[in-house]
Formats: sequence, structure tokens, C-alpha cells
Amino acid sequence: MAPLEAHALGKRFRRRWVLRHCELELPERAIVGLVGPNGAGKSTLLRLAVGLLAPSEGELRALGRDPAREPAVLSEIGYVAQDAPLYRSLTVAETIAFARATNSRWDGDIAAAFLSGLRSDARVGLLATGDRARLALALALGKRPALMLLDEPFARLDPLAGRSFLQLLMDGVAETAATVVIATHVIADVERVCDHIVLLSGGGVRLQGDVEALLDSHRLLTGTRRPLGRIAGVRQIVRERHVGRQLSLLVRRDDAIVDPSWSVDRVGLEELLLAYMAPEQLPLRQPRERAALRWHG
Amino acid sequence: MAWLTWRQHRLQLLTGLVGLVSLAIAALVTELPLRSAYHRDALASCLPPSLRSGCDIIVRRFEDEFSAGVDATRALIALPALVGLFVGAPLLARELELGTARLAWTQGITRRRWLSQKLLLLALATLAGGAALGTLTMWWRHPFDAFEGRMSASVFEVEGLVVPAYALFALMLGVLAGLVLRRTVPAMTATLVAFGVTRLLVGRFLRPRFMAPIHESATSFTSRPHPGWVLEDTLYDAAGRHVTTGREDLAIVHAQLAGIDPHSYLAALGWHRVISYQPADRFWAFQAIEAGIFAALALGAAALALWAVRRTPA
Repeated sequence: MAPLEAHALGKRFRRRWVLRHCELELPERAIVGLVGPNGAGKSTLLRLAVGLLAPSEGELRALGRDPAREPAVLSEIGYVAQDAPLYRSLTVAETIAFARATNSRWDGDIAAAFLSGLRSDARVGLLATGDRARLALALALGKRPALMLLDEPFARLDPLAGRSFLQLLMDGVAETAATVVIATHVIADVERVCDHIVLLSGGGVRLQGDVEALLDSHRLLTGTRRPLGRIAGVRQIVRERHVGRQLSLLVRRDDAIVDPSWSVDRVGLEELLLAYMAPEQLPLRQPRERAALRWHG
Repeated sequence: MAWLTWRQHRLQLLTGLVGLVSLAIAALVTELPLRSAYHRDALASCLPPSLRSGCDIIVRRFEDEFSAGVDATRALIALPALVGLFVGAPLLARELELGTARLAWTQGITRRRWLSQKLLLLALATLAGGAALGTLTMWWRHPFDAFEGRMSASVFEVEGLVVPAYALFALMLGVLAGLVLRRTVPAMTATLVAFGVTRLLVGRFLRPRFMAPIHESATSFTSRPHPGWVLEDTLYDAAGRHVTTGREDLAIVHAQLAGIDPHSYLAALGWHRVISYQPADRFWAFQAIEAGIFAALALGAAALALWAVRRTPA
């Protein structure tokens, strides 16, 4: 059973489709980076996963159940919404009491471990942003979730706070074997910890897979400008870029690329994802034909 | 959950309590001179509103003396609406506005249970507060009710059972408005308008028909205090045709010019009044019916909110 899967999933707000034809299947125990530009539908996907929204078409299953119809599944999902909403007038201790009262699976010890150094009588509204994020994380992890969903957790944190937040998160899920999904538009935030990537762009899943496998199947080719014909071993040209008389291609490969006129390098995750994000550079259909028609020189 | 409801609404609950206690103190302070005047003037001897000569003077003086307090009780008509505006409307609208609904609705408790527990406790508090207010007003107004009756709208709507029922309806209406409109200020406005319109419609069009009114024919043309709720008071001529006020005025002027007593002149013409009214002793039956209507409306709004909260996007 995939912790989170979607089939033909679509979500429409009024007449605008935010997600369409989404196919998704996350492996168990993965740390998933859900990346994509702003407005790609990352938040929408997560809100669908916790039943805050209902799909307009298709289906979505979290831990094997439909969250919109079976809200009981929510007791096993830890979710930190964008901007980590909390009741600002409650104190830290009262916020924890709120979580205890609303969760039958509540584990106070886990939550307490995250809140060391936080005064329990401090008002949430007066906490520093980093502490508030920590409290929101503690609430989610205290549920001992099998699936952890975080929506832009770094958006308001400075790099240092972001790093320690990530560390806390990783410590927290290390023992629970939970699948973690971190939605972010800053790839660098999750690059170090993700072993799985889902790239959303233009309302659809552009790319998903194991990070190692993705890095292994892509190569950066550099050579002099030339008419682009077929290159042995290349399945698809993801991005082409011209720098002076140099031509650099980011390609998806089927096989080893042995053409000696190209220098072949491995590609970094961030560069790979950025290449897929820019939709105008995506040769989605018949890539070879389009590439062959163009002349660069 | 009970603790959470208390914690999140304690400001409103305490404000309500302080308001009620202040009103009770004000009522107590003003009631003491009122009761002593009632006994001093031996007003009880004018009851039931008799035509004993002089009573009208004593009663009028008593009512004039304490008219400020009576006017103040009329303002109590607005109090139940406040529950809807300041407790009901923000209940869900604020959660949706501030995004905390995304926190509350993703915990291990279903939205419906979360909301129903909140509503239950707030409804109990509202009913208790409303009942206290209704009883307090009834106690304060007791001397006036003896003369004026309690059936006229300005009295009926601030006394007894209807007060908690109105408050409960306002609360649930506010909750529903907050859920549908998702924003606090529009929800408050909508609650006020819907509450006012419902009250008006029930008071104007339903309440006179709760029970069949009693029709009474009279030949006396002096208007005397009537403890019941007069719905209609019309003049008919000998042939049974309706006499317009213009025609009545003309007849009176005619009599005055001729130097005849207008009353006996009208009686001599064979004219008579027909009064249709709801008698004062139907007060509790009417209270029960009206309270029942608003309690049912409140339950309907609550049920609708509990149904809709499940499919509200957040």
C-alpha cells in the first residue's frame, strides 16, 4: 500500500484547474521532496491528502483510504499547513493540551522532546517564528503519524532555523518509519534529505522517482554548436542551452552515451529539477522530431 | 474538548456573565423603589384593571414615573442577537479566516464531532444566559405587566421562554453564516439581517395566528386599557359595513357642532366596534409556541452547519 497515491486526480477552483491528470504513487518510508514553482499545486495536493479539499475528479488515497470520505485516517497523518497555523491566544502548554484532546493516538513524550527550551506558559502569538514552526512540528509528530505532510515549512524560516527544523524533523521521523512529504519551492532546502522527488509544474506531475535513479538517468552533454540529430543513448532532450559557441544539453538517457564529440557529465539535482520546471523548455511531445528540425549554428 | 471550548470562548462567556450580572444589579436597584411605589399607591387594588374611578390617574402616574426603566427594557430585545454576532458568527469564520481550521480539521477528531461538542456547550451557556435574562425581565416588569399585559410585542419578546430560544437561534444562525461566508464581518452582518427578518416575520405574520383570536363586539367607544393583544379594532355601522376613520371623524365633528356627546351620538347611529384580540391568559401558550419555533429553527441551522462542515474546503 502506497502511503499516498493519486489516479487521474484533478482539482478545480471555480473554472481554473490547479491540478489535472495527476498520477502519483509514493513508496513507503520515503522522504519525498514535493517541488515545483509557486502556484504549481503543491499546497492543493497536500490539502487534498488531508481532506481539507475534495477532488474535482479522479481519486486520491492516503494510507489506503480516501481522506475526504474517511476522516478517521487523519489521526495517522501529521500535517503542517502553510504558515503553520496555530491558535495565537493559547499558550504552548494549552496548544499541546488541544492536540491531546483532539487526538486519540497522542504521544506527549514525542511532542515534549521537540519543545525543550520553549516556555510552556508562553503565548503562541508571541513566539519567534522558528519556535512556532517547532511547535507546529511537535503537534504533527505527536500523533505518531505514518504519513507526515509539510507545506512550505521553510518559507518563513531563516536558513539557520530552516536547517535546525529539518534536523528536528529527520530525528522525529527516524524512529517512526513514516513517509515524509516536504512541499517546497526551494530545492536546496530539501536536497540533502530527500530520497524521492515529485515535481509538480503547470498542474501536473512532471517528474517523479527515486533521486539516485533520476540522477543516474540524466546527463549533461556539452559540445560545439551543431545541427541536432539523433544522439545514441539519448531518449529525450530536457533542456538545451547555448553559451557562446558551446551547446549544452540536459538529456534523459536510455543507455550509455558514447559519442566522443560530446563531453558527458553527471547533473546535480537542483539543475535537473529546474530544467524540468521551466515549462516552455519542455519538449513534451515528440522530442526527437522537434529537436531534429532545429538548426543551431 | 469541553476544556478547549471553554478556553477558546472564555472571553465571550465571561463577558456575557458580567453583562448579565450588571443587568441583574441594575434591575435590583431600580426595582426596589418601583415595588415600594406600587405598594404605597395601593396599585394592587386597581387590579384587575378596573374602571374604579381614579385608578386611571394612579396607574398613569406610576407608569410615567418609571417610564425610563420601561424604555430600557425595550432595548433588551437586541441582546439575543449579540450572541449570534459575537459568538456564533466568528466561531467558524475566524477559523477559516486565520487558517486555524487547517489545524483543527486535520486532527484525529472528525470535524463533525469537533463542531458538535463546541455547539453543545455554547448552546447550554446561551440557554442558561437567555433564561436568566428572560426571568429577570419578567420579574422586573411584573408591576407593569399587571396593568398592560404581556402580550404586546415589546413585552412579549423580552420576557420568558422566548428569550433563550431567540438567543439559541441567533447563535446557530451565526455559526451557519460563518461557515457559508467564511469571513467574520460579512457573517456578522448576515446574521443580524437574517435574525431580524426572521423575528419580524414570525412576530408580524405567525404570532397573531398561533391561536384563533377572540372577537368581541362593543358599543362603548372609550378605549379602555386592554390586557390582551388587540389585533384589530374596527368600527361598523348599523348595516354591518366597515366605517372608515374619515367617516368616523366626520360623524364626531358633526356631533360636536350639534352640541351632542359624540359617544352617545355614535351609539345612537347604531355603530359598534368589533375588537379581535388574543387574551392575556394565552401568554404562556404563545411563549411556548414561539420558543418552539425558534428552537426548531436553531436546531435546523445547527444540523445544516454540522452537515456542511464536513464538505467545507479549508
